[in-house]
Amino acid sequence: MTPSGYFLEHLWLIPLFPLVTAALMLLIGRRLPHAAVSFFCVGSVFLSFVYAAGAVYQLLAVAPENRVYQQILFEWITPGAMPGPGGLFNFVADWGYLLDPLSCVMVLVVTGVGFLIHVYSIGYMGHEGGYYRFFGYMNLFMFSMLTLVLANNLLFLFVGWEGVGLCSYLLIGFYFLKKSAADAGKKAFIVNRIGDTGFLLGIFLVAMTFGTVRFTSQMLGDPVAYAGILETLRAMVDQGRLAYGAPVLTGIALLLFLGATGKSAQIPLYVWLPDAMEGPTPVSALIHAATMVTAGVYMVARMSAIYQLAPVAMDVVAIVGATTAIFAASMAVAQNDIKKVLAYSTISQLGYMFLALGVGAFSAGIFHLMTHAFFKALLFLGAGSVIHALSGEQDLHRMGGLWNTIPATSRPFLIATLAITGIPPLAGFFSKDEILGHVFNRHNPGLLMDRYLFLWAIGLITAGITAFYMFRLFFQVFRGRSRIATELEEHIHESPRSMTTPLMILAFFSICGGWFALPVLWGENNTLDTFLEPALRGVKDEIGAVELGQHTLFKEYLLMMASVGIAALGIWLAYRLYLQFPKLHSKVAAAWPRLYDLLVHKYYVDEIYDALFVNRVKDLSTAFGVVDAKLIDGVGVDGAGWLARVISRISMWWDNWVIDGLVNLAGKITRGLSVPVRMFQTGVFSSYAMLILLGLAILLGYYGHHMHMIVRNVR
Amino acid sequence: MGLFHDHLLSVVLFTPLVGAVLLFFIPRDAPMLHRVVGNLFGVLGFLVSVPLVIHFPVGGNDYAFRETANWIPSIGAKYALGIDGISLLLVMLTTLLGMIAITSSWTAINTRTKEYYILMLLLQTGMLGVFMSLDFFLFYVFWEVMLVPMYFLIGVWGSERRLYAAIKFFLYTLAGSVIMLLGILALYFNTAKMTGVQTFDVPALLAAAQHFPESLKVWLFWGFFFAFAIKVPMFPFHTWLPDAHTEAPTAGSVILAGVLLKMGTYGFLRFSLPMLPAEAVLRAKIIHILIVLSLIGIIYGAIICLMQKDMKRLIAYSSVSHLGFCTLGIFALTPQGLSGSVLQQINHGISTGALFLLVGILYERRHTRLISEFGGLATPMPNFAAIYLIITLSSLGMPILNGFIGEFTILQGAFVVNKAWAAWGTLGIVLGAAYLLWLYQRVMFGTVTHDVNKTLPDLNVREYAVLLPLVVLAFWIGIYPKPFFAFIDKPVEKIVQQVNPKFYEQANRALPPAAPVAPPSAPASLEVK
Amino acid sequence: MHFSFLDPILNYIHGDGLVVLPQMELLLFALGILIFDFLLEKREKHLNAFLALLGVAASGLGLFMQFQKYRDVRVSQIGLPVLIGFHNSVIVDGFFLVFAMIFLAATALVILLSVRYLNIEKEQEGEYYALLLFSCIGMMFMASGIDLIVLFLGLETMALSFYAMVGFLRREKRSNEAAMKYLLLGAFSTGILAYGFSLLYGLSAFRRGFQPSTNIADIGEAVSNRFQYSLSQGGIDWLVILAFVTVAAGMFFKVAAVPFHQWAPDVYEGAPTPISAYVSVASKTASFAMFLRLVINVFGGSQTTNVFGNSQTTWMYIISGVAIASLTWGNLAALTQTNMKRLLAYSSISHVGYILLGLVAWNETGLVGIMYYLIAYAFMTIGAFAVVIVMRQRGLIGDELDDLDGLYQRSPAAAFLLLIFMLSLAGIPPTAGFVAKYFIFQALIESHHPVLAVFAALYIVPGLYYYFRVVKHAWMKKPGGAPAPHMSSAQAVALGTALFVTLAAGIYPDPFVRLARYAFGP
Repeated sequence: MTPSGYFLEHLWLIPLFPLVTAALMLLIGRRLPHAAVSFFCVGSVFLSFVYAAGAVYQLLAVAPENRVYQQILFEWITPGAMPGPGGLFNFVADWGYLLDPLSCVMVLVVTGVGFLIHVYSIGYMGHEGGYYRFFGYMNLFMFSMLTLVLANNLLFLFVGWEGVGLCSYLLIGFYFLKKSAADAGKKAFIVNRIGDTGFLLGIFLVAMTFGTVRFTSQMLGDPVAYAGILETLRAMVDQGRLAYGAPVLTGIALLLFLGATGKSAQIPLYVWLPDAMEGPTPVSALIHAATMVTAGVYMVARMSAIYQLAPVAMDVVAIVGATTAIFAASMAVAQNDIKKVLAYSTISQLGYMFLALGVGAFSAGIFHLMTHAFFKALLFLGAGSVIHALSGEQDLHRMGGLWNTIPATSRPFLIATLAITGIPPLAGFFSKDEILGHVFNRHNPGLLMDRYLFLWAIGLITAGITAFYMFRLFFQVFRGRSRIATELEEHIHESPRSMTTPLMILAFFSICGGWFALPVLWGENNTLDTFLEPALRGVKDEIGAVELGQHTLFKEYLLMMASVGIAALGIWLAYRLYLQFPKLHSKVAAAWPRLYDLLVHKYYVDEIYDALFVNRVKDLSTAFGVVDAKLIDGVGVDGAGWLARVISRISMWWDNWVIDGLVNLAGKITRGLSVPVRMFQTGVFSSYAMLILLGLAILLGYYGHHMHMIVRNVR
Repeated sequence: MGLFHDHLLSVVLFTPLVGAVLLFFIPRDAPMLHRVVGNLFGVLGFLVSVPLVIHFPVGGNDYAFRETANWIPSIGAKYALGIDGISLLLVMLTTLLGMIAITSSWTAINTRTKEYYILMLLLQTGMLGVFMSLDFFLFYVFWEVMLVPMYFLIGVWGSERRLYAAIKFFLYTLAGSVIMLLGILALYFNTAKMTGVQTFDVPALLAAAQHFPESLKVWLFWGFFFAFAIKVPMFPFHTWLPDAHTEAPTAGSVILAGVLLKMGTYGFLRFSLPMLPAEAVLRAKIIHILIVLSLIGIIYGAIICLMQKDMKRLIAYSSVSHLGFCTLGIFALTPQGLSGSVLQQINHGISTGALFLLVGILYERRHTRLISEFGGLATPMPNFAAIYLIITLSSLGMPILNGFIGEFTILQGAFVVNKAWAAWGTLGIVLGAAYLLWLYQRVMFGTVTHDVNKTLPDLNVREYAVLLPLVVLAFWIGIYPKPFFAFIDKPVEKIVQQVNPKFYEQANRALPPAAPVAPPSAPASLEVK
Repeated sequence: MHFSFLDPILNYIHGDGLVVLPQMELLLFALGILIFDFLLEKREKHLNAFLALLGVAASGLGLFMQFQKYRDVRVSQIGLPVLIGFHNSVIVDGFFLVFAMIFLAATALVILLSVRYLNIEKEQEGEYYALLLFSCIGMMFMASGIDLIVLFLGLETMALSFYAMVGFLRREKRSNEAAMKYLLLGAFSTGILAYGFSLLYGLSAFRRGFQPSTNIADIGEAVSNRFQYSLSQGGIDWLVILAFVTVAAGMFFKVAAVPFHQWAPDVYEGAPTPISAYVSVASKTASFAMFLRLVINVFGGSQTTNVFGNSQTTWMYIISGVAIASLTWGNLAALTQTNMKRLLAYSSISHVGYILLGLVAWNETGLVGIMYYLIAYAFMTIGAFAVVIVMRQRGLIGDELDDLDGLYQRSPAAAFLLLIFMLSLAGIPPTAGFVAKYFIFQALIESHHPVLAVFAALYIVPGLYYYFRVVKHAWMKKPGGAPAPHMSSAQAVALGTALFVTLAAGIYPDPFVRLARYAFGP
């Protein structure tokens, strides 16, 4: 039985709603009152949410293996023939949508969290200029993001991929009067573009290898007319044309992953995300925490079938993920801007997700993606609420003691903090624990130490650091004595309902978000896992598939202990340094000045990049400018013209002066004679005639010589 | 209808000329009349070209709307017109941009209006002729005729260094053309020697060229190469372009960037490719040179944009980069490369044309093109900023806008031949984002730096009318390019069949679920399986 | 009824006299003018011009009669059609007819252009027009003579009238000096030519019967005999070489080819502008006619086979050398000229280079090309000079480039005409100049001279540069103090004709191509 129903058939409406309102805003928004703007924009997102929920519901109605729904509106790009696996084929990219368990999760997260953040923005942006513009961009973003998660082929996914990048550019630069904001936007876009080159090349390689960019041909009837990557891959593996670890698959995986590092802010392309905090806080919450930055994770999970067959790529993903996780976490420790801290924590959490993907625990990665969306959105919104309360203050040093002044913000914030720290039974605990568990299980018990154990250790340590910097943040903001500037002190105010309500809801999810993926050992099996399984199954179960080790109670509990324990350690450390002995942390910093300096300056990565790439390109540009002006134009073009003019002068000078000069000279000598005689005796005649005779002689000699040659040849 | 229909191309070709002749008899001191007549014929020129699209036999294998008449029987030159899908798109681009350019100069041009409109119309006829003629002699005549009006447009209505730019443009391009003339003559002579028929008929000559000895083909190829490479312009021959584009009046720049450059790429497509030697090594060598030049053009042009202080100059250099993509696609010799290239030519016409129009709008208001003179324009001119943004995005290849379709297709076409080519090409995309967004930021974002700019008026109705068609087209090509591909598929396939038959001889390795060569029939929209 | 006393005349006209009919009519009118001139008041001198035009018309009529007769002869006779008279010394053939047409057209145009000019110069004299007609007679003999004596006389008739006309502005120092230079150097070159002729006469005995002859056909036979003989003997025939070189040198001087060109700029600048036009067009064309006649008939036989296996004239290299030199010198020297007439002088030198290249090719296309080039050249050059003439006013010589500044504002028509003629001179389609160059290039390609072709083609570029310097002055410079030029109706007619031919021969060249073919057709 195939899925069907009203909402499924109107899948294409989900991205359309926000697009329509976005267009509306950008065209006539300026003339609309705030109320209308909020009504349209938030309403459209809500509609999408409803339609998404409906679609998911109708999809769930059918048996797990049939839970795929595809819809091709029209053929989008049809550039003609290219070589594929079966000889030539006509490349076709659909304008089409796909709903399967994976996109179910994504679409719900995006529309759900997105809706809440939109509601929040009504209050947060209420006093800002360009209200309509903000919501226009936000809706545009929703459209792009939904396109991204609902696309039924890589190229159409790329549309959303670029679209979210654009919106992030626009929204980061929302306060375009600030140069830093505009710069940050530009930086984000260009860094993402670098990743996109990899993505594009990956798409080309996919098209060449599989003869299609469609993810799957399921539910499209004729599998020949509508080939899908998954099916083609399976067939080629069956025929032994592609094997586990085939270089081409590794190539594809790595190229696509390059794109992911850009979008999901992983090493080496993470540098744009911290700067992106220039944007309004809801933007940070929606784009740079909950949704856009997870696009990379989603994309890798989407191509899991390929990754499973590319062990090298998998290791790269895992290692990059783990490294980013700990690297970013360490940087978060020394940040003093509340949003910067959250930004680096986001990078580090994304690292976790990639770590999960890298060890083949795709569902775990998606799981963490989801829970992270909840609590990280909550953290940002909370931070936004704080900033709102302190009328724009973002520096941790000028905060503190807000626990009771803004309770509706502080309580949810604590929940989120606990969640990200991984304290059971909150959402973060389950997802992070599952990831660490999977990593650990890949480690070969026979060996004392292998890379998986190492990765696991990194993950564990990161968990500790996370706990530390999150509670450092929490204590500095809400506990201890207030360090708030006095002039701000009086008008500290709790945020309006529209802002706090979303906090509540998100807090709720941050608590229970993890409960429908409880670890196996707690009774029933992991629901999310089984739900996603058909989408992430891959082509061959035996090769490269995740072989989860034995779920012995003992091991499970041990792992939990470890993670909870280290989290507790982190919290205790933060407590000691920032609450119990507030002076202590500066002493610590003073103790290791080098390290501290390194962390404060974020390992100087931006500076290094500038020195290595940015400035070099600018130099190159100047150099090329010189080449054009001086070499090609100067020497080449104008040079030729100059030469011609010089020769011209010479010849003119010759014709006018050498000849007539002789005339005048001779003229002086024989003065007094009558005109014709003078003319006759002087230059004009003799010199001209001389020249003529000269020419005559030359011609004669030349002709003679030439004839001589001919005669020689004849002989 | 009958007569009109049989001579559709002639009608399209000579409508602007008629306008020019008409203007010739209007007294000089009636600028308003000149404007009206000029615009009238600009619009008319576009309208009469619309039937071409309507009646064009899509998927036809030969040139459509052919017209042939004796012209110089004593040397076998004919008045022969005809278009295939490729030329159709370029013709439409020409008429559209011609109309827009003429309309855009309503207020910009106040001196010598009569001559201005005469020249614009002449120019249009010249360019149309180049894309339409199926006779080499006729082609060459149009090719050079078109230089003269452009020389005057730059030289009379241009800005400070106009005289230098004008003569530089003329001499630069002429140098290439005269060599091409010799190439044409050699082609003509050798064909006559081979077949005994004296003709300039393009298909006949190109067909004959297939049977020439390799060495001769190589000579012919390079003979034609320079003319086209200078027009495009390819890397070492590009320095005329920044000067010409920068000094020309807005409409001139629009036409230059939008249409003139395409004459070069069109020449490559139509005339150069058949001259390529068949012998593998030799051909590979030539192709390699050309691809490398294209890639250098892409990257060099993009990087040099970063140091430009003059908006028009920046956009001019960006054309070098974009045209690099076009040539890359052409010399990849794959169907996708070629169709992508053709589409990208149209896209470049649209987006760069629009960019020049936008700069022109600023220039009309402030009489400067220096980036440093602007900044924060988004505040006084929000709508201008919006349209500028859309065009910028289309130019840097944002999906759902036209630029992406072209670049993607070209790069894919290049990728299947050589992965490195595509990889280098993508570098151009990154840099494109860099210089365009930086330009946009410097001009639009931030606080208004000069008080003069605080009071700049936003777009007026005429400016909307000029820009919107281009914006609409940008979205159309971006969202539903299929009809455009439909026009060029067949001719492109023909070219590849002729030039690179090996491509179609690729082994048809059987594989159960792989798409066949035949294009899959599109499912009805919203069809549910 | 029948006037018996007319019979001899009529017989004469239908007999031997027919071959010189146009010349005779011109002579009649020239003398007529000289007499008629006495009866005219100072202010009605311009009536001479009408008389002269009438003469040209009458001569044209005569030409037409010859044409008809020639056509009849062609159809009636087998083999080469001949319309030869005066003891085998004057011929009427396509070659002559076409050239004669050019001469008459040029003369007519120059007459039209002269009237107002001479008024301004206050030199309105009858002799002027008479001289014009005399020189035209000379040219016609240069084109129709097939006997050394006739050719030489023709040349001298033309040259002498020119010496007089160049110095016609008695009060102008420039004019007098120019005339003197022209005279002396002309004389010198003619001397060289005469020497060459004497050699030819001497050579002419080397054939059946060992009779010396002045008929160029006989000489041609003799020369090629000697050539082939000496070749077979494996020796070099210095006599033939010397003969060719001297004849060529004489001709090169007349057509102002490098290195025999120095007189041209001075003479062009000094002479009355209509005469400059006449020198640069008519005398050059006539000299080419004579040169072609001699080369084809006398030296055509001295050929060898070249590496391509097709036979090639041995003197080709000399011609090509001179051609390249003329192209280079003419084009480059013209770049920096500030005087319109000097500029046109150098440009005419470069055009000689192109024309000679047609001779280098030495094939049918080449000869047709030369013919076409000469036709186009005649009209576009006269047109260009005509604009300069129009510029001439009381108190303004108008031949400096700066005098053209802002011509567009002062007289759009003149500026437009100037543009067209410059385009044509530069060889940009759709003008006569382009088609002319086209034929030259094609000839070079066909005769396997790609290098020469590229060379010649590239010289279009600097050419365009200096022609468009003129255009720039006229169209893009701010107008100076100069008054608006005024165009007399006669000048208008002349300019109109020049314009028409320049454009017609560019847009629909076919009739002109056929005309050019007719000149060399059997």
